[in-house]
Amino acid sequence: MVAYDGEMTFKRQGITGGEGLRGALRRRVAGEGITLMEVTGHGTVYLADEATEITLIPLRGDTLFVESDSVMALDAGLQTGVQFVGLRGMGTGQGLATTKIEGHGTAAILSHGPAIGLQVTPEIPLSVDPHAYVAHHGQLRQDVVTDVNWRTVLGQGSGESVQFRYHGHGVVYVQPAERSGALEI
Amino acid sequence: MSTPTFSAATLPANDNVSSYAFGVELNGGRWFAQKGKMIAYYGQISFEALSAGPLDSLVASHFHSPLYAHDWIVASGSGKLLLADRGFDVNSFDLDDGNLTIRAGNLLAFEPGLELKQSIIPGFLTLLGTGRFVAASNGPVHFVEPPIRVDPQALLGWADCPSPCHHYDHSYMRGALGTARMLTGLGGQSGEEHQFDFTGRGTVLMQSSETVAADGGLLRQIEGQLGLLGTSGLQRLHQTIGARLQAERD
Repeated sequence: MVAYDGEMTFKRQGITGGEGLRGALRRRVAGEGITLMEVTGHGTVYLADEATEITLIPLRGDTLFVESDSVMALDAGLQTGVQFVGLRGMGTGQGLATTKIEGHGTAAILSHGPAIGLQVTPEIPLSVDPHAYVAHHGQLRQDVVTDVNWRTVLGQGSGESVQFRYHGHGVVYVQPAERSGALEI
Repeated sequence: MSTPTFSAATLPANDNVSSYAFGVELNGGRWFAQKGKMIAYYGQISFEALSAGPLDSLVASHFHSPLYAHDWIVASGSGKLLLADRGFDVNSFDLDDGNLTIRAGNLLAFEPGLELKQSIIPGFLTLLGTGRFVAASNGPVHFVEPPIRVDPQALLGWADCPSPCHHYDHSYMRGALGTARMLTGLGGQSGEEHQFDFTGRGTVLMQSSETVAADGGLLRQIEGQLGLLGTSGLQRLHQTIGARLQAERD
């Protein structure tokens, strides 16, 4: 929060973060730390984070998957949860889990540079660099595609050896910058 | 504010997707691209290091820079490719039988109609021929005409004009203090006493900031020449580097 006008009250969400005791435990185990605060009242709240770009994604009963670092704010009508994604998260250096947001309302997510939405249709799959991935929603199947061969081992790799490939119907949001991940191939 | 959303059909082909991303359409063709600048692609595209066997003849005829070969890949296949770089402004330029020199870290991709060579100025690459290339700049690009002196960090590149020479402010080198500075590399730097001096006819490209990407090529070039120095030279360099590191910490 950088500023507000009107009447507002700010309340830190309890340690369960509205996900119940079980949800909080899952979150702790997953390392998807997220501390939300609840704002109620009348007026305007101004939110900002290090001058990064903010993308608003409207959700109508569907689920948005996003890295917890990229979550800025969400409507009270949305629930958060943790989704285990297995190997996929390793590519981004963010661990084995991702945050899911579901319900009706708008989620505000952060990206380095304005995010670009890329629609996926069954005919043409979309591949995304893990370092540029921000979020996705819709009926999407996500695979990790590796193109690791002997050249990669020799340090002569293409630099794009690990990609996320999406099949199905949905939208994937990417940022025009690559965050430095743990896995550099 | 709504997020621009594209599909495989509506994603701009060989044009800017936003100020910060560029779409390249591949129809069985090939593009050279700098490693790690691809953020997404539709369709079937493969990325190969320049050392890959099938690329031999392409690399032999279009890529003449062993120093930077490690940083480049070739994208081939069919589909649409999205390029971006650190959230920098991205622009494409067309060369028509021209020549243009550009900072190596800022060149994102080029068509094989162009031929890449290493510039005489360290850290810069020269493109020759006809085709399109994509470059990144921190802030919009400014086109200026020589004669002009530009800050080395703000320089993006130049086209059609002779290579620049170094220009140092005379007052900075003069006197005992100046001598001490030259010998030790320490003290009293305003950061603006050294410029690149352009003369002749042509165009100079500048970015509106002094942020440059860390360039692995320059480091490799220096490392490659260490062998020429001999023991005394290495010791001297060691001292200079120690002093510079100390100054950076202060």
